[in-house]
Amino acid sequence: MGQVHRGDGAEDGLLVRQVLAGDQHAYGALVDRYVAEFGRYATALCADEDLAADAMQEAFIRAYDALDGLDHPDRFGAWFFRILTNQCHNHRDRHRHHASLETVEVAGADSPERRLEAEETRATINRALDELTPELRETFVLREIEGRPYAEIAELLDASEPALRKRVERAREVVRAALRELV
Amino acid sequence: MTDRYDEALARYRERLEPPGPRVKRAVMAALADRGHGAKGQSWLRWFFRPHLVQVRPLLAAAVLVLVAGLGAVVAILATQRGGGNPVATMPAGAVLVRFELTAPDAGQVALAGSFNGWSDTSTFFTQDAETGVWSVTVPLAPGEHEYLFVIDGDRWIPDPEAHALVDDGFGNLNSMLVVGPRGVVRS
Repeated sequence: MGQVHRGDGAEDGLLVRQVLAGDQHAYGALVDRYVAEFGRYATALCADEDLAADAMQEAFIRAYDALDGLDHPDRFGAWFFRILTNQCHNHRDRHRHHASLETVEVAGADSPERRLEAEETRATINRALDELTPELRETFVLREIEGRPYAEIAELLDASEPALRKRVERAREVVRAALRELV
Repeated sequence: MTDRYDEALARYRERLEPPGPRVKRAVMAALADRGHGAKGQSWLRWFFRPHLVQVRPLLAAAVLVLVAGLGAVVAILATQRGGGNPVATMPAGAVLVRFELTAPDAGQVALAGSFNGWSDTSTFFTQDAETGVWSVTVPLAPGEHEYLFVIDGDRWIPDPEAHALVDDGFGNLNSMLVVGPRGVVRS
């Protein structure tokens, strides 16, 4: 039950009330805001951009359907974050053996060797993330990939900062070990 | 090894793209496909839209006098029936539950829970000036109740002395209290 992290909670509350009053465009504004806020997080957590898109769509629709039951509209962001995180874990688990083998479009300026190296690194990190528990994976992505401050992560995950530092430490060990094996 | 780790993560971040505008397109299309996908009922929406109201001063004054008179009658009747006593408004079978929190630095503490619609503005604690302990007593029906303390309007915390903590379904914890059929239960 952490405090809403980013954005303006009061503005979120207003948008939620407008949606409940029948204004679907207001929901579009919430979608814009939280795709920007959590889009990269979803891609990293799902290990794939397409899976992240699916997870986000489902999360937004689930949130919309459950909006009447949201007790604190000002805390839409933190509430949606939990729904999205669960969707991402589900999608990642379902597609675990495919996602890390996906290829990505890489800027044309990169040489084939560099592209290959980048792809190997990405696949190695994704495989290491597969080895982590959901809690470690969420924390690692928020801290190490996104670079969010511990205080903000503590609010999002409702965990103490010392506990989060422990999680990051353990996750780093797993990722480091995987990278060591990458020649 | 740190360099290799940092370099690898930097490379990973470079390739990380958010899903982009297709998410919004898909979500809004899915909601529109539901036909009457709007959340609110049409009659309910009326209450949320601004309306222009024209008022005649003489008529408005008459209405105000009428409303004030009705209010006074209701207040007198409530007093005669003992309506001023908060215990008289307790639901049948309810018991009084006292909540306490030691938070000497807090400026305000509220109680939000399943029993008051998770409102953080309806049940406020009072502080003992000598001890700094905040407390409030509320009537609760027997059964399970989830709740949190709201400090200074923006910090939601579980009760440090709660009998139990339960997952709220979104990965966070609520305090839980079980009220028996008799007696006062302290949280």
